[in-house]
Amino acid sequence: MKYAFFAGCLIPAREPQYENSVRKIAPKFGMELVKMEGTNCCAPFSIQSLDYTSWLALAARNLCLAEKMGLNIVTLCNDCYESLLMANTILKENKETREKVNKALADVDLEFKGKTDVKIFSDVLYEEVGLEKVKNAVKRPFNGLRVAVQPGCHLSKPKRLHFEQRMGIMALDELVEATGAISVPYERKEACCGGPLRGINDEVALNVAKQKLDSMKAASVDAIVTVCPFCYLELDMGQIEIRRHTKTEYDLPVLSFAELLRVAMGMDLEEWELKAHRIPITKLLNIAEAK
Amino acid sequence: MSHPEAGFMHEVASTPRGRGVLACIQCGRCTSSCPVSKVVQEHNPRKLMEMIILGLRSEVLGEQLPWYCLSCFTCLDRCPQGGDVGEVMFAIRNLTAREGNFPEGILTQARSLFENGRVVMASRMALVQRKKYGLGEEPSVDVEAVQKILKKTRFDKLISKGK
Repeated sequence: MKYAFFAGCLIPAREPQYENSVRKIAPKFGMELVKMEGTNCCAPFSIQSLDYTSWLALAARNLCLAEKMGLNIVTLCNDCYESLLMANTILKENKETREKVNKALADVDLEFKGKTDVKIFSDVLYEEVGLEKVKNAVKRPFNGLRVAVQPGCHLSKPKRLHFEQRMGIMALDELVEATGAISVPYERKEACCGGPLRGINDEVALNVAKQKLDSMKAASVDAIVTVCPFCYLELDMGQIEIRRHTKTEYDLPVLSFAELLRVAMGMDLEEWELKAHRIPITKLLNIAEAK
Repeated sequence: MSHPEAGFMHEVASTPRGRGVLACIQCGRCTSSCPVSKVVQEHNPRKLMEMIILGLRSEVLGEQLPWYCLSCFTCLDRCPQGGDVGEVMFAIRNLTAREGNFPEGILTQARSLFENGRVVMASRMALVQRKKYGLGEEPSVDVEAVQKILKKTRFDKLISKGK
């Protein structure tokens, strides 16, 4: 299982503990993540909001690089996933748009041919590694840990992009439960965390996050587990900001799914990785230790 | 309100992500599904669709409201008409951007993209951590290629209009 590894901007730049966890897990399941050289930003929501063709051309450039490697892309970030998957779909289906984008790519000697597929790490684990192998790799289960799974919007929305073979939320729930934790249902599970409005309208972003956190708290969970690096940041940092503004205390540690699985597989987080979490995660890790 | 421009709905519908506006029946399911509408009363996607249908071009393009949208695509999945409200939001923001009207946060990201090839740059702390974990440098970026493409699509001109 060999993939062109598209790490995105946010994870390498802000959340190295997330990337590190993925790199520790992947080889245990026979996944080879091949570094992509000379990529560019996937062109997320903010850039798509400015210009359609610029978005598609930038996304297409990344897709072309994977085509040249002869590999499918695996991404960690929900936004990279949405941008690359949507661009790939549009460019494969629409000849006129493809020709227009290929004109923009001609200057950099690339041509979109439609020969790669875009996947997200959790789906690959579920579909290609398989739940049984993941379960068997768990050495220190998080038995009884009540988790609010935060799928992040673009793991499964818009639905028309995620055909039957893309498992999204269901896969993530089962993967989380493979670590012994319980994925607790809660009202606003599929709602946005507010993250995309960070840096554009922080107050609105925080109020949206608050709705989400209220709903998680009402479900009496011990922790939040997500795959999306924006949710990861927004819900962790957001709790500190909400506490400052409103004195509301949630005390819900946030883990990326990769960190949860890494610990469950018996691989410890380093001290610096623990410190990267604004809401301390040590008490959760003790649950895994105790079993 | 200014004089309605009857052709505006079709102007929007003819852009790549704007076609959904033609299907809107004003049921309001988008607004009731919207996580931002729950916290910002003025943010009302149904109303914005209505304004497009009524041809209120300058009001729609002068609004900050399309920039409240999180593009979470909940409305897109829930629209009974396949009206793609969240996609129409992109169409509106693209038109608004051509008028040089976009939030500063977006401009900052766009400039970073043009200058560095990525939107988020690594903090010094992250670089130290990467080294410690043996992750190497950040993934390499071909800035020259990015700039060539963005000049071709006139993205550089577009963002130079940003206020």
